[in-house]
Amino acid sequence: MSSKTLSTDFVEAKSMKKGKKNKKVKKRTVTAKQHRAGWTFLTPATVFITIMSFYPMFQALITSFKTGSSADMVWSKPLFRNYTRMFSDDLFLRSVGNTFLYLIVEVPIMLIFAILLAQILNNRDIKFRGLFRTCVFLPCATSLVSYALIFKSLFATQGLINSILVKIGILHSNYNFLGTPGSAKVVIIIALIWRWTGYNMVFYLAGLQNIEYSVYEAAKIDGANGWKTFWHITVPLLKPTIIMTFIMSINGTLQLFDESVNLTKGGPANTTITMSHYIYNNSFGQGVANFGYASAMSFFVFVLVAVLAAINLKVGDTRD
Amino acid sequence: MKKRKVMSVILTGAMVASSLAACSSGDAKGSTKKDSKKVTKVDVTKEDKNTLSVYAWDKNFNIPALKAAEKAYQKKNPKFKLNIIEQSQSSDVETAITTAGSAGDFTTLPDIVLFQDHYFQKYVTDYPKAWVDLEKSDVQWADFGQEKLSYSTIKNKHYGVPVDNGTVVCAYRTDLLKECGYTIDDLTGVTWDKFIEIGQKVHKKTGKYLLSMDGAGNDLPYMMLQAEGVSQFKDGKVNLTKNETLKKIIDKIVEMKQKDVLYLANDWSDYTDQTIIGDMVAGVMNGNWIIPTIKQVKKNEGKWEITSMPTLNGEEGYASNGGSSLYITSNCRKQDLAKDFLAYTFGGGEGKQETYDKALEDGGVITTCISAGKSDVYNKGVKYFGDQAIYSKIVEMGTHVKVVEQSDFHYVCREQVAAAIQNIINGTKTDAALKDAEKQVKFAMEK
Repeated sequence: MSSKTLSTDFVEAKSMKKGKKNKKVKKRTVTAKQHRAGWTFLTPATVFITIMSFYPMFQALITSFKTGSSADMVWSKPLFRNYTRMFSDDLFLRSVGNTFLYLIVEVPIMLIFAILLAQILNNRDIKFRGLFRTCVFLPCATSLVSYALIFKSLFATQGLINSILVKIGILHSNYNFLGTPGSAKVVIIIALIWRWTGYNMVFYLAGLQNIEYSVYEAAKIDGANGWKTFWHITVPLLKPTIIMTFIMSINGTLQLFDESVNLTKGGPANTTITMSHYIYNNSFGQGVANFGYASAMSFFVFVLVAVLAAINLKVGDTRD
Repeated sequence: MKKRKVMSVILTGAMVASSLAACSSGDAKGSTKKDSKKVTKVDVTKEDKNTLSVYAWDKNFNIPALKAAEKAYQKKNPKFKLNIIEQSQSSDVETAITTAGSAGDFTTLPDIVLFQDHYFQKYVTDYPKAWVDLEKSDVQWADFGQEKLSYSTIKNKHYGVPVDNGTVVCAYRTDLLKECGYTIDDLTGVTWDKFIEIGQKVHKKTGKYLLSMDGAGNDLPYMMLQAEGVSQFKDGKVNLTKNETLKKIIDKIVEMKQKDVLYLANDWSDYTDQTIIGDMVAGVMNGNWIIPTIKQVKKNEGKWEITSMPTLNGEEGYASNGGSSLYITSNCRKQDLAKDFLAYTFGGGEGKQETYDKALEDGGVITTCISAGKSDVYNKGVKYFGDQAIYSKIVEMGTHVKVVEQSDFHYVCREQVAAAIQNIINGTKTDAALKDAEKQVKFAMEK
């Protein structure tokens, strides 16, 4: 703030004492001052976000219209070449398909599990519920890479799951879970559910805590059973939370990277690769350094996330 | 009440931890690789005039070789110092070049880098300003295996000085072969059909596979093709669908897999840890840098021997896979010193014998320098391989490797052919799978 504005403020304040007419002016300057303070507090964060986030995003947008070696990038001809290219790229389309498969199968299962667990652990009669809550939440505190590696060793051909299944007679011989396209996808989905259910449960627990207990008591008096209470009280009242978790899960799944890289490396034969993994491969994998194309694909993911989130918000909009 | 407070503190803590984890997964596409990386910066401007800095990545393999070279060169220049900066993996060096090249600022690079051979062409094409050629140096080019030099020679200009040797060895467990009534000579200069026949017997009798490979980064097609003198590329274009030799080779690989001669692991660490160190195999075929891995199974000491590869028509096959060379970057301010150092040591100058002998003793690094491979150290029998003089044999085998067409897209192609093989094993027709692979490689090669 410059000293000049400060001094004018001072003069204004002084002159205000005099007449009725000046009262209006005083009010305005107070709000103006508040606004100014507000903007002052906002500025550092805004500047940082602009430099650290928006500027790189803008640069990435420009890069997505370019092609060639990253030392000497030229505008692609035609300009949207990178964007049209991805739709004739079988591998990219497969990665989109895979990602959506994970999304469609995993997100509903995970959210249903989360809401049921939250409901159970919200019951006041359960003993040690704090302990159980922590246990369900704990997977979330593990690193993405380490949990993926643990799942990998569990499901390895000579791993624990195989030994158990062979011992109890379900399998005749060791099965290559991560080396067979179908089962590799299933393992990724199981891993995702294990990792993220507790995370979503916490949101539901918080949501449930906001529902008055008396509502449940009233329902009980009216003769509603557990199932009815769940569908007619819990779910409607949790709607905002459910929508939020949906958006977060969709966003997270569309950007799925670690599981694909660490569990299966996208294999066998690229059948489990995700969009982010393919983008990574195009920028840093195999010495390709195809940054223009990779940026274009990133923007495709960006648009997908935005569209899905918008649909979700629209569907969940309770206002008439 | 107090209990609840404690609980809430724990939960908040866990929340914060997880949200941090969630952030890291969302923000950077390459977070996993980058997190584990310890990037050691270098500033060449601050070095004194007798010091050179170099990036290398394997403290059991190429770093001892560089130390040997440093010591050898100190005889000529006692003040000389080599500042070896260890990277966690070879791709770190590639990323360093990519980053510097993209920014157009090479000041972050060291004087010399060790670089993977198969990647080098691509990096010269993409970042021509990052490198210094070695045309005006005293390196004895004629003293090296020509196949090795073909990787680091671009448009008839030499860029790199070879360090290690990628010559493919076929190592077999002689005790298991004997059990089945064979010797290693029965596997030398044979056809793949004979190899499969022996492999089947070995698996039936001992339960071990005669061959294993990483199914995702499958090096077999490349090595087997090179032994035939054929490449997956022709005149700069990918050559898969009309490549009859490749088709025959892929059929053999699929047959080996189906007849339990070949075990395809899910990834590289499974290949080394599970199949080789886990003692699942009676044979290993790969670049000779695989030898330290074989040696990790102490109980099999003295039971292995090496020989050349089988081929389609039964001649002895020779190929090369992997390996790296030393390159001077454009950030080097003491190019004369760097060139002299490389020429004197790895480049076949006066210090070559001392360098390569010590590199072999300390790091198991085998040379492609023909004259250096004739020393006593090289001719000594190796206990682990039944006192066979494997090192001189490898150097000798390296001179027979045929030069085949290389491409910037070697690894892209390798990945796609590996995927095609997986698909064929799962029931796709060979022609359809190869057509698909060729389409993908062509797609990646488009500008």
